[in-house]
Amino acid sequence: MLNGLRWIVYALAVLAMNFPVIVTLVTSFKSARELSTNAGLWINQPTLENYLRVLSDTSRFNIYTYLANSAAAALIGTGLAILLAFPAAYAIARSEAGKRILLPVVVNLRAVPLIIFAIPLYMMYQWLGLLDTKLGLGLILTIVNVPLALVILVNAISDVPTELDEAAKVDGASSRQVMLMIIRPVIRPALVTTFIFGFITAWNEFLFGLMLTTSRAVPMTVGASFFFAASGGGVQWGTASAVMILGALPPALLGLLMYRQISGSMMAGAVKG
Amino acid sequence: MAIVNRAEGRLYFTPLIGFLMLFLGFPAIVNLVYSVSTVNFETLRSPTITGFGNYLSVLGDREFWRSVSFSMRFGIVTALAECLIGLFLAIFLAPLLARRSVLMAPLMLPLMVAPAMVGLMYRLVLHEFAGPVPYYLFEWFGDSPAFLDVNNAFRTLVVVEVLQWTPFAFLLFYMAYVAIPVDVREAAALDGASAFKALWWIELPLMLPTLTIAFFIRFIDGFRVFDNVYALTGSGAGGSTASLSIYIYHAFFKQGAIGKAVAASVLLFLASLVGLCALNWLAGLRRK
Repeated sequence: MLNGLRWIVYALAVLAMNFPVIVTLVTSFKSARELSTNAGLWINQPTLENYLRVLSDTSRFNIYTYLANSAAAALIGTGLAILLAFPAAYAIARSEAGKRILLPVVVNLRAVPLIIFAIPLYMMYQWLGLLDTKLGLGLILTIVNVPLALVILVNAISDVPTELDEAAKVDGASSRQVMLMIIRPVIRPALVTTFIFGFITAWNEFLFGLMLTTSRAVPMTVGASFFFAASGGGVQWGTASAVMILGALPPALLGLLMYRQISGSMMAGAVKG
Repeated sequence: MAIVNRAEGRLYFTPLIGFLMLFLGFPAIVNLVYSVSTVNFETLRSPTITGFGNYLSVLGDREFWRSVSFSMRFGIVTALAECLIGLFLAIFLAPLLARRSVLMAPLMLPLMVAPAMVGLMYRLVLHEFAGPVPYYLFEWFGDSPAFLDVNNAFRTLVVVEVLQWTPFAFLLFYMAYVAIPVDVREAAALDGASAFKALWWIELPLMLPTLTIAFFIRFIDGFRVFDNVYALTGSGAGGSTASLSIYIYHAFFKQGAIGKAVAASVLLFLASLVGLCALNWLAGLRRK
């Protein structure tokens, strides 16, 4: 009896929280004609025409560019964040340095509204010629990803027994060799989690994409909003839905595959915050 | 002897610190200088320091205070709602989820979708002709409210934010709840505590630190909200849904008022420092 109620609450919660995604998914399979008479959650004549149009007609709205831009910027933003955070995390976990100032400062960055740096960064980018480039966007996404990357990696390295490092040092390894050849393979799962989580965060970022890109490097989140703005009064809802689904798919798939690891790192990020 | 000695440590920190200096330290200094300067897009590289005029014009701007009020109300209301619903779901659904962890995945899906994208999706959901919500409301009740007009926009945005981020609070609470040791629960049961009493007197107090931290994290995120509000309503009818982040964005990109935008940024930075100190103080209490 009580268990039945639990199932009902679960189903309602899933339905309510995923409602926009469900509606968009349903609408993306409706033809324009059906949509004008049926805005409900049932599809009478499912069609793929919206997806075909988005994927084949790229003259006005080239979704491949946006997807490629998002992928490139997210890869830079995640890869660089790990490259910067990993050595620092190793030093923090294996010495006394950095625990008092660097770690807390970086961790707290997560809670600072990054828009306060946006205006100087905009001017700096203008000066450096980084406006509207994938590299420029990727560098900003690095800032977004560094805090959580550092927390996850410090935690992971701290969990590795120091005897492992000491044994390698006795055998004559330098600390750089220990870091790269002993620690790196051992904490591989944490590196993968950091990468997945960072990639999702970077892909979903909107504010800096909006401010720092205008045409060549526009990411998917911003591109999708262009689609709405460009079509003015008469938004083609079926096509728009297909765009949104395709744009949301990469992080959603990654997230669904790796939800266990992601829930763990959210917890780590919160508790250490 | 530490495994990483001092010189090596410095070497390992350098790239990260250098990067942060360049991308955050330098902009912070620029912010401070520009906030006390007269500057526009022509004199971008040679600002003249003129004092606190920018701060005064921000503090005297009604739009600024309106956006502060919006952010404040939005942060508090959404954080409260997310924590309450999340807590209920975590405790009520725990027996279901304990045996089938796959059930977690659909609950976490909203966290994987870009807030900006969710904002756009709600344009469809609430659209008077193409959206299912007005469609069913008309079907069943013959009428549907204007979800995004001045009177309803705030409430609509709160619901949008809460539905997307309740899973975050839920997740933290669920993990804190299942982390309560079995023997604590057994001891309570042996002492004859009812399920409700055990919850109220033992489990909730044990989860209290997670509750406070989740509230703060969600409050900060709600306070600085940008993506979904911008994508769904922009600044709304007459600026009624401009959050502080949107205010700064508009001051810079739409009005070209650099000094004002930068001064507002510095004020937001100070406010977030205060919030962070409070959060760290709470976390410190917890470790004791």
